[in-house]
Amino acid sequence: MPAANHWIVTGNFTDDGAVAWRRADGTWSRAIAEAGLLADEASAKAIAARAVAAEQREICDPYGIEVFAEGTTIDPLTARQRIRANGPTTPIRRPDSGISR
Amino acid sequence: MYQYDDYDRRIIIERAQQFRGQVARRLSGEITEEEFKPLRLQNGLYMQLHAYMLRVAIPYGLLSSKQVRKLAHIARTYDKGYAHLTTRQNIQYNWPRLANVPVILDELASVEMHAVQTSGNCVRNITSDHFAGIARDEIEDPRPYCEILRQWSTFHPEFAHLPRKFKIAVTAAPGEDRAAVRFHDIGLRMVENAQGERGFEVLVGGGLGRTPVIAEVVRDFLPKRHMLSYIESILRVYNLAGRRDNKHKARIKILVTALGVEEFRRRVEEDWEKSRTPALELPDAEVARVSAFFAPPPYENIAADPDRLISLGLGRDRDLGNWVKNNVFPHKVPGYSAVVISVKKPGIPPGDVSDTQLDAIADIADRFSFGHTVVTHTQNLVLPDVKTSELPRLHAELRALDLGEANVGKLTDVITCPGLDYCDLANARSIPLSLEIAERFDRIDYLNDVGDVSIKISGCINACGHHHVGNIGILGIDKRGEEFYQLMLGGSPGNDASIGKILGRALAQNEIVDAVEKVLGRYLEIRDSIDERFLDTVRRVGFDPFKEAVYGSADPLEAAGGD
Amino acid sequence: MQIIRDRKIVEDDFIHVADGAELPESGKPIVTLARFLKERATLLPRYPAVGVRIASDKLPSDVPDLAKLALIAVEFPKFTDGRGYSTGRMLRDRHGFTGELRAVGWVLRDQLFYLERCGFNAFEMKPGKPLESGLEAFKEFTVTYQAAVDDPRPFYRRR
Ligand code: SF4
Repeated sequence: MPAANHWIVTGNFTDDGAVAWRRADGTWSRAIAEAGLLADEASAKAIAARAVAAEQREICDPYGIEVFAEGTTIDPLTARQRIRANGPTTPIRRPDSGISR
Repeated sequence: MYQYDDYDRRIIIERAQQFRGQVARRLSGEITEEEFKPLRLQNGLYMQLHAYMLRVAIPYGLLSSKQVRKLAHIARTYDKGYAHLTTRQNIQYNWPRLANVPVILDELASVEMHAVQTSGNCVRNITSDHFAGIARDEIEDPRPYCEILRQWSTFHPEFAHLPRKFKIAVTAAPGEDRAAVRFHDIGLRMVENAQGERGFEVLVGGGLGRTPVIAEVVRDFLPKRHMLSYIESILRVYNLAGRRDNKHKARIKILVTALGVEEFRRRVEEDWEKSRTPALELPDAEVARVSAFFAPPPYENIAADPDRLISLGLGRDRDLGNWVKNNVFPHKVPGYSAVVISVKKPGIPPGDVSDTQLDAIADIADRFSFGHTVVTHTQNLVLPDVKTSELPRLHAELRALDLGEANVGKLTDVITCPGLDYCDLANARSIPLSLEIAERFDRIDYLNDVGDVSIKISGCINACGHHHVGNIGILGIDKRGEEFYQLMLGGSPGNDASIGKILGRALAQNEIVDAVEKVLGRYLEIRDSIDERFLDTVRRVGFDPFKEAVYGSADPLEAAGGD
Repeated sequence: MQIIRDRKIVEDDFIHVADGAELPESGKPIVTLARFLKERATLLPRYPAVGVRIASDKLPSDVPDLAKLALIAVEFPKFTDGRGYSTGRMLRDRHGFTGELRAVGWVLRDQLFYLERCGFNAFEMKPGKPLESGLEAFKEFTVTYQAAVDDPRPFYRRR
C-alpha cells in the first residue's frame, strides 16, 4: 500500500440518512475532509465494529473504506465512495435549481 | 377510481400509526438499525447513498388530481421539490428525514395513499396496463381485479416474509401486453374460453434480475372467482419451498425452473384442492362493488372523426404534429384520445417531476381528463381521457411546463433506474448515460427516422431499469471500483417477449453512447425498409453486423474478450 | 421463563428438552421432532402433555400423532424466515390441530399480529425483548382483509 493511502470510517446519520464521516475525536461529520485518518484496515474495522453498538442511535451501519489523502483533501478510491462523498452527479431537480425553465 | 370506505381508511391510518411507533423506537435508540431495517423495509423506506428514500405505492399507476397535488405538497414540504417516477408505476422521494416519514404517511393517508409493501419480501404493488379501462383492445377493465388483489395482498399474514419480493401484473388486452406480464412472478392475462366465459391465463416465474426468465403458463384458464384462492396456493408452495439460503436464487422463477413447470403446477393444484373453500371464492357482488368505482367517466357524444388525428399529425405546427404522432394513442370512445406525457426532457433526470409540474399536471388532469392520470412503467404519465379536439391546447400547455417532448416510444424515451447517483446497490450510474443519450439524439427527425426503439438502463443486475427487455439494454457493472457497462440487444417485454443478449466486452462510460450511436447507424444502413423496426432488424440479421460496428470485428472471441 | 399465551403474559409450564438431554421426571416436555419420531411410543403415555418442536423446513405432514400432541413449537430461525406462517395455517386449517401453537426463536413484537392470524396462540419472544410491548402489537390493527385462521371469511364477506 502506498504511503499516502489511509483508512477512514463512514456510515449514514440515523436522522436524515446523510453520509457520515468519523472524525479523529469520535464525533461524526458531514464532510469527508474532516474524517480521521487511520493507518490500516484493521483499525478501521475495529472502530466501525465498536460504533455499530455504541453509536447506533446516531449512525447506521458504520464501516471502513480506503482513501487517498494528500494535504487537506481526502479522496475515496471507488466511484461509489466518490459519489457518497460529493452527492449525486446529476442535476437535483428543484424549482429553484435553475434547471427547470 | 376506487374510493376507500371506512375500513380501507382505518387500515391505512392504523398502519401509519404503527410505523410512527416504530420510528419513535428507532429515534429513541430502543431498537437498532439492524432491528429497524426489516420494519422500515415493510414500509417502502430504504437507506440509499445520501439519504433515506421513501417509495409510495400507486396501485396500478392510477392517480386522482387530488393525490397528485398531495404528492406535490410532500415534495415541496418534506423533500427537495421533486419526486421520481419508478419503473413499477410508483413514485419515490429521495430526501426525507426519518422523523418526517410518519408525517408524510399521514399526509398520504389523507388522500387514500400509502407506502405499504413497496419494499420487502412480500407482495408488492400490483401493476397493470397503463391504458387499462380505455384501451380498444381490452376484453374488460382489469383494474377492479387489481384493486381486489391490492386489498387481498395488504398485510396478508401468511405471505409477509416470502423468500424474496413478489410482483404481480394484470392485463386484459390480448393484442398488446403493455404490462409485461411475462416478466412478473405472477402474470394474469384475461382471456375468454370456448364457452365465452372470462378468466385468467396464469403465468408464473417470469422476471429479470440476475437470471432473466420468461414466465411459464401454469394454468390456461382460471375462472375469475378463483383468482385469490389460486394465487394463495401459488404463494404457499413458493413460501414453503422457495430457496432461502441464497438471495440470488430466492425468486419464484428459480423454484419453477428447478421443479419444472409440470411439478410446480402439480403442487399448486394439490394445495389448491385442499385449501380452497367456498368462502374464498370471489362473489359477483364484490366484483360489482369494486367495478362500480371504475365506471367510465361522463364522456360526451362525439362523432368519430378518424381524419382529425391524421390532419393534426400532418399539420403546419411540426411540434404539435410530431407530438400527436408519437404521444397520442387510440381510445375506445370516439372523439377521445389517450395522451402520454413524456417525462424525458433532455437535461433533466428521466422520471423526475418537480412540485410545480405535479401541481400543474393535477390542474391539467382536471381540465382535460376527468381528473385522472396514470404512471407508466416507462416513467411517463398518461392522461387517459382527452378530447381529441383539445389536443392542440393541451400540447401548448404541456410544452410550457417542459412536458411537451414528442418522444414517447422513441430513442430518447429511455427507462433509467436511479443508479449510482442514488442507489445503495448500484455498480454504476444510469442517469448520466440517459442524459447523454437525450442530448446526443435530441433531433426529432432522427428520432422519427430511427423509429420505435427502446433503450433501458440499469445500474446493477437487479434490473430495475429492465435492461434485459430493452431493444437496447445497458447494464452497469463494477470493475475494481470503476463504472463499466454491458451493451445488450434484442430484448422485448411484450407479447413477443425476448431477453436481450450481451453484444461484446464491457465498455467504459465514455464509450457507451458512441456504441449506441454506432449500433443505430448500422441499423439505418441495413434495415430492409423504413418500416422494419430496430428489433426486427436485430432478429433478422443477428449480432454480427452490430458487433462489427461497435468493436470493429464480428469475431466473438475478440469482441467478447474479458467478460 | 415467561411467554405470551392467549394474549397474556404467563409462566411457561412446558420444558424444552434438548436432544440427548435427560427427560424430566414429570411435567410437560417439548422435544425435537427427531426425538419424538424415535421415542414417541414411550413419551406419549409417560407425560400428561407432550410438545414437539419443529424446524422451519418441516411440514405438518412430517409430524405423526398430531391429535395426541398438546403443543407444537415452530421455529423461526430468522425474522425473515416466513415458512412458519404457512405451517401454522396448515396445522390449524387443514390438520385441525387444536393444541397450543407456539412460535419460538427470532420472534419480535412486529410479527405477533401476523402470527396470531396464522393460528399461533403462544409466543416465546427473542431474549431481551419486553413482553409487554408484544401485547400492544395485537391491538395495532382492528380490520383485516384476508381469510385466515382467526376468520375463515375474507373481508369481502364481512364488509
Ligand atoms: S437496477 Fe440496481 S442500481 Fe438500478 S435502482 Fe435497481 S438496484 Fe439500484
